[in-house]
Amino acid sequence: MDACSPPVAKRAKPVEYDLDDLFGIKALLSDEYKQDIRLIKAHSCQLESKQQLQAVIQELAKKLPHFQHLKRVHDRNVLICPTADIEDTLEQHLKQHQISDHVLEALCRNVNVVEVPASSAKLRVQYDQMIKYWPCKFHPDKYAESLQNGSNFTTSQRLYHKRMAQLLRNLSRDLNKGQPVAICVDPRQPSIVAIAGSNESANTHKHCVMWLVDYVARSQQGGAWQSQLDFVEDEQNTTKTLSGLPQTYYDYLQGHEHCEDLQYGAELPRRTNNVEFQDDQLTSADNLSKYGPYLCTGYDIYLLREPCLMCAMALVHSRVKRIFFLEQSQNGALVTSFQLHAVKELNHHYEVFQFTT
Amino acid sequence: MAAFMEEALVEARRARDAGEVPVGCVFVHGDVIIARGGNEVNVHRNATRHAEFICIDATLAYCREKHLPARQTFSEISVVVTVEPCIMCSAALHTLAVKEIIYGCENDRFGGKTVVDVAAVVGQQINITGGVRAEEAMALLKEFYKGDNPAAPPVAKKRK
Repeated sequence: MDACSPPVAKRAKPVEYDLDDLFGIKALLSDEYKQDIRLIKAHSCQLESKQQLQAVIQELAKKLPHFQHLKRVHDRNVLICPTADIEDTLEQHLKQHQISDHVLEALCRNVNVVEVPASSAKLRVQYDQMIKYWPCKFHPDKYAESLQNGSNFTTSQRLYHKRMAQLLRNLSRDLNKGQPVAICVDPRQPSIVAIAGSNESANTHKHCVMWLVDYVARSQQGGAWQSQLDFVEDEQNTTKTLSGLPQTYYDYLQGHEHCEDLQYGAELPRRTNNVEFQDDQLTSADNLSKYGPYLCTGYDIYLLREPCLMCAMALVHSRVKRIFFLEQSQNGALVTSFQLHAVKELNHHYEVFQFTT
Repeated sequence: MAAFMEEALVEARRARDAGEVPVGCVFVHGDVIIARGGNEVNVHRNATRHAEFICIDATLAYCREKHLPARQTFSEISVVVTVEPCIMCSAALHTLAVKEIIYGCENDRFGGKTVVDVAAVVGQQINITGGVRAEEAMALLKEFYKGDNPAAPPVAKKRK
């Protein structure tokens, strides 16, 4: 395009096109998906003949079961153990592990120290790096690959996520004095379940994520915190509830043209009788479609700012499906100061995405 | 201070009787209990309504009523809770900078000390004492779960 030509009337275009220029979406994967692989030093030896292989491998597998992610043999070279394991000499170490004499003899010839990958490959890029050092096992994970290369979303899904990012910015600017805003979406339609801002209270622990979780609870006839706000009232005999939405946010969205086609509301809890629900009915309630709404199961959360540790853990307890956020925060617990979603011991794990500009 | 654990256990039993996970907590300010509570997750359909959060909210109400500065009051509070605070509660208590935390049994699922070092992430050190009447606290949990956590997702569905 001629640099001197007048700017094309971009504003007239539908919002969708602008969004594509504004944001990308990047999955924040845990460290085990990192591209630079970790190496450890290991002892290897070269066997005299291939006839020794079977006996050697069988005994190593039983008595020194290291390197599950690697192939134990590379040509006639055999991996014995990490060098860090050895206190005295290799021979002593093998004796301590009751390696029989003839295998020990075979292993103690032509000993080398080699560098091998410390853990298994999760992604093909890692695998391609690793095989330069030593042959390894690899089970491709299509979904992990798609998260890594960004092909996990369809065009329309990607567009919706970006619209939510834009919405967070607008709501924060127009209704919340630039303070954090959070949106909860049921991704099946998709439909906006709840919206919360953080300007409601100056209390140190009432962050907007904590409000949002409580507003979602409202949509399930729960909720613990008193709010200054009015919430949308449901009409009679409705199939979904708007009760997680503060009236001010709802009115704002209704009044904006570019939000016209958005859907609102949460599925009603399936157990509609007024009996207090029992825990045993919730045994396998982590599937939104199967069991209906329970906490934030299956829901997506969009945040203006990366959540702190308290909020990030609140979203683990609430079983959210995915978190999307725009800006990193100093005390953020998903990328900045910690990666809560990478803690394996937790009983629930959500996916995390950051909008990139 | 550990004598207040009996009061926390009372709250834990009350939570159990209400069909909630049996964890109880009291906040002690100058030898006086100013807030007490048990888990209220199920009744509110809100997974963050842990005993500690009930007490944090109650403390703020107490400060408003007595015209006390909240931040300073929290710095003088001993948190006595039957189970090690989870990562969320521990993060909140560290951020509020309470004086100390005294707990009963460990929480090896979500513990803010056992599973994640919350003090290091938040950047705030608090005196923490564990193991006070731990067997009784654990017995309540075991009785409730009977070896199986009804709130946990199905084990078979291992996510890739």
